[in-house]
Amino acid sequence: MSTNQNPTLLGRSLVLKGDLSGNEDLVIEGQFDGNINIQDHCLTVGAHGQLKAEVHARQVVVLGSVNGNITARDKVEIRKTGHVLGDLVAAGIAIEDGAYFKGSIEILREDAAEAPQALASSSAGLSHE
Amino acid sequence: MSPTTVRQQDATGPKRGGSASPLSSPALEWLWQYHRDVRRPHLVDCGVVRTATMDILLRRCGKLYVADLLSPLQSDDPKYWDRSGKVPVFLIEDFLTRVPPIPSGSIAAAFCWHLFDLIPRDGLPKIVDLLFSLLQPGGLIFCLLREPYLPTGADTDFRFENLTTLGTVGQANRHFPYPVLTTRELEKLVPAGSVKTFLTRSGRREVLVMK
Repeated sequence: MSTNQNPTLLGRSLVLKGDLSGNEDLVIEGQFDGNINIQDHCLTVGAHGQLKAEVHARQVVVLGSVNGNITARDKVEIRKTGHVLGDLVAAGIAIEDGAYFKGSIEILREDAAEAPQALASSSAGLSHE
Repeated sequence: MSPTTVRQQDATGPKRGGSASPLSSPALEWLWQYHRDVRRPHLVDCGVVRTATMDILLRRCGKLYVADLLSPLQSDDPKYWDRSGKVPVFLIEDFLTRVPPIPSGSIAAAFCWHLFDLIPRDGLPKIVDLLFSLLQPGGLIFCLLREPYLPTGADTDFRFENLTTLGTVGQANRHFPYPVLTTRELEKLVPAGSVKTFLTRSGRREVLVMK
């Protein structure tokens, strides 16, 4: 779903409050306070970015700071410089060693039928790998 | 659960500072076997954020809470100490704010690693009370307690290699800051009969506390 065009950049010196929605990828290097809704696109919180926001996006990459809940249809990545306080709901989560995260994680599962298989292997004390 | 001690025969002897090779965990085998019927348990990891650990727990659980309580203890984070008086005071209330909001009675298992060895002894009852209150009936706290002959390893982080095998990260050079916490001392902090101890030859006891 990602567009070929360059993502929109919210620069380091910008401070925004309010609700933001759209149909393009977004990179935030400044401060944002509010709600972000870019369901089909990628949000990147740059190393200098500071968010106090509820975020809904297809994919979220955090190198800066986020205070708020993140829901991503595909994946949330918190890089080692990232700092996140909030709850994550996504199909995939990647948190690099060294990142700070306080909150909860829920994985969106397309197929609930995978659970019995996982149970069988865990009850036998086996690896899921 | 009555107090039980299970002795594990391990092929490797104790190693100073702990073992770098993966450790098969009898307590974790017991824990996952006990929760085998829980379809998507809610879990808490109190360890340092490790990608491998989170990947493995997320495959098994319905919800994973992350509360890194070990990093500030391993690094003696000054934020949690009041050193204005003659005796440094550990700011346990501030420290507990590192735990995210978790509904009481919702957690199937809390993974505490060496938390109880590293936390100042006067803060121990509060952290045990908090974790115990989060557990659902039948919920378990998993922790590691060092044996007296293991003086170092306070800086060792543990991660899951798989659900029942632990790997280590860290130099294991740093001394544990407090005397050995005995199982008896831990038993005094929780209801009678709720502690199950697994002896290993890695220099650590694996302990489960059940609600």
